[in-house]
Amino acid sequence: MKKLLNGNEAAAAGARLSKVQVIPSYPITPSFPVHHQLARDVMEGKLQARFINMESDQSAIAAAVGASLGGLRTFTATNSQGLAYMSEHLFYASGLRLPIVMAVVSRALSAPHCRFADHGDVLAQKTSGWMIFFCETHQEILDTCIQLYKICEDPRVQTPAMLGYESYIQSHTFEPVDVPAEEAVDAYLGQRKALGNVVDPDHPLSINPATPPALYMDFKYQQWKAMEGSLTIIEEVRQSFRDAFRRDHGGAVDTQRMEDAEVAVATMGSMARTSRQAILELRKEGVRAGLLRLRAFRPFPAGQLRKCLASVERVVVLDKNSSPGAGGGLYDELRAALYDGNGRGKGPPKVFGYIAGLGGRDVTVGDIKQAVRASVPGKEGLHWMGFPDE
Amino acid sequence: MSERKEPLLAGTTGCPGCGALITAHWVLEALGSNIVVIVPAGCLATVGASGLRSAWPVPFVHSLFESAPAVATGIRHALDLRGRPDTQVVVLAGDSATLDIGFQALSGMATRGENILYICYDNEAAMNTSGQANGASPRCALTPTTPAGHPGLKKDGPGLMVAHRIPYVATASISHRDDFMGKLKKAARIPGPRYIHVLSPCPTFWDYPPDRTVEVAGESVEGGLWQLFEWEDGKVRVTYRPQPRIPLRDYFAMQGRFRGMKTEEVEQIQRQVDSFWGEEL
Repeated sequence: MKKLLNGNEAAAAGARLSKVQVIPSYPITPSFPVHHQLARDVMEGKLQARFINMESDQSAIAAAVGASLGGLRTFTATNSQGLAYMSEHLFYASGLRLPIVMAVVSRALSAPHCRFADHGDVLAQKTSGWMIFFCETHQEILDTCIQLYKICEDPRVQTPAMLGYESYIQSHTFEPVDVPAEEAVDAYLGQRKALGNVVDPDHPLSINPATPPALYMDFKYQQWKAMEGSLTIIEEVRQSFRDAFRRDHGGAVDTQRMEDAEVAVATMGSMARTSRQAILELRKEGVRAGLLRLRAFRPFPAGQLRKCLASVERVVVLDKNSSPGAGGGLYDELRAALYDGNGRGKGPPKVFGYIAGLGGRDVTVGDIKQAVRASVPGKEGLHWMGFPDE
Repeated sequence: MSERKEPLLAGTTGCPGCGALITAHWVLEALGSNIVVIVPAGCLATVGASGLRSAWPVPFVHSLFESAPAVATGIRHALDLRGRPDTQVVVLAGDSATLDIGFQALSGMATRGENILYICYDNEAAMNTSGQANGASPRCALTPTTPAGHPGLKKDGPGLMVAHRIPYVATASISHRDDFMGKLKKAARIPGPRYIHVLSPCPTFWDYPPDRTVEVAGESVEGGLWQLFEWEDGKVRVTYRPQPRIPLRDYFAMQGRFRGMKTEEVEQIQRQVDSFWGEEL
């Protein structure tokens, strides 16, 4: 059924349809409406779940760990300071291999204090062992929530995931969303089948004992392999979801007009939406531009990026985050992925990075077109959109 | 489920005379096998399970330092939803995790009314990092970070939990086993958040011979310094009245951590304790 939803409502609908069983909650702006919606859903009996009012973001994720260790499907939502405060527990949850899904409504980190969109909160957690997805549309937010449970709970993955979208630009704007029928999602997703890492008085386990060097690295290797292997599962789920719901948002990457592109715009989240329009206009103006959108920043789809970019001349990377003293999250990792060429013939494409839209600053179609047109030899490297180069 | 004979299994790596391990043994003995134990960072989190070996015969979760009550909350709700409300969820935490870094989570657990039994084993400093002072350390204690003696006052953990108006708060000491076991068994029958604060001395950093752990705890109780009580239905009840009380100077003298204490400081604490009991020695 088509409904007009904002991004937070789409995330809450995704969680409700996924029949999450425990929701430890500590609301923060701008993700708090997700909590409020789910609290109402539980009170009205639309969702059979425990909604727990925790006393901090940190305790919310800690309780999510407990509930997930208890074998149940667990969901929460946060952003910015809340995510930073959770950081220690993000590593804990992924190390325990718990398939928690958490909506993260990317917002700028203080200081200076700012409520608006910025991927810096999520990018700061890129080594936490969580899968990281960024959505482009509200439909994708709802659908990706369901997909992430399918992916995370797969015995081959068993890894938590962030369902990313952006403060206000996505959380508080409205779009028509096709809300799938409950029965269809039930048939597709089913209940969580917990594996061995469950607290059960009938089968006592010691969870997270002190681990010596002889073992720690083995755990981390398994975690790494599961994350790496999840690229296959993401593709499987893309296909099974398409078969079940007739919708396709792409796998780890999503492309537009890349077949014959000479220049690619590579980005994540809401800037991909704006880039699509820029690309249509550039095409009309004779520039063969294409879009390379990363849905997944973790696992990082390096192989797919190399394949997509094998025949372009230039890549314009738009990062809504910055890493002072280095670059932008996508700019840095995309360039690293491209470095591993075959060493013969023409090298990898030239890369032009832009730090853009920090703290919710507008990134317009015109800005993106301008960045593409400015991607000429000699201008490679990192730029700040709207700021003069040195 | 079969009843176990052995509470905590052999092979723990605690120091000889470890008060925390005595506490753990008795908690398991009193509560039986239908329990889940959550232990935050601290000595007890590591001495019972290491590598591929574990002495815990019941489900054991080593949580992060500050969040054992929150992890326990998630486990509690999961067990309830799985039809296991009968399983006792127990947090067994040291005094740093309880009164300092983890107090926020403990307070949250209490105010939400979670059906969790929280036991604090108090050894009055952060022993897993070689004993630096914390909010539970007594005045004058020598620790690695208070080499001139701890200037602060010991935080009143049980008092803080009484202020939360939870169904049951008690103090205990490993020197008074019947009192402690009785409180554990009573707490196990009460639904909601419950809190027991157990004096559990540490020979390694209190600096006394390891065969005197129970004796040291006993000196504190018999001297009236560590008071055994329980708080229930809005009323406090002293469960053990030391009679006659013994002078506290021996308690301080038997521990290396108080060797910097001046006679007048001992006398001042003696007067405070006398005042509490409403009588001089």
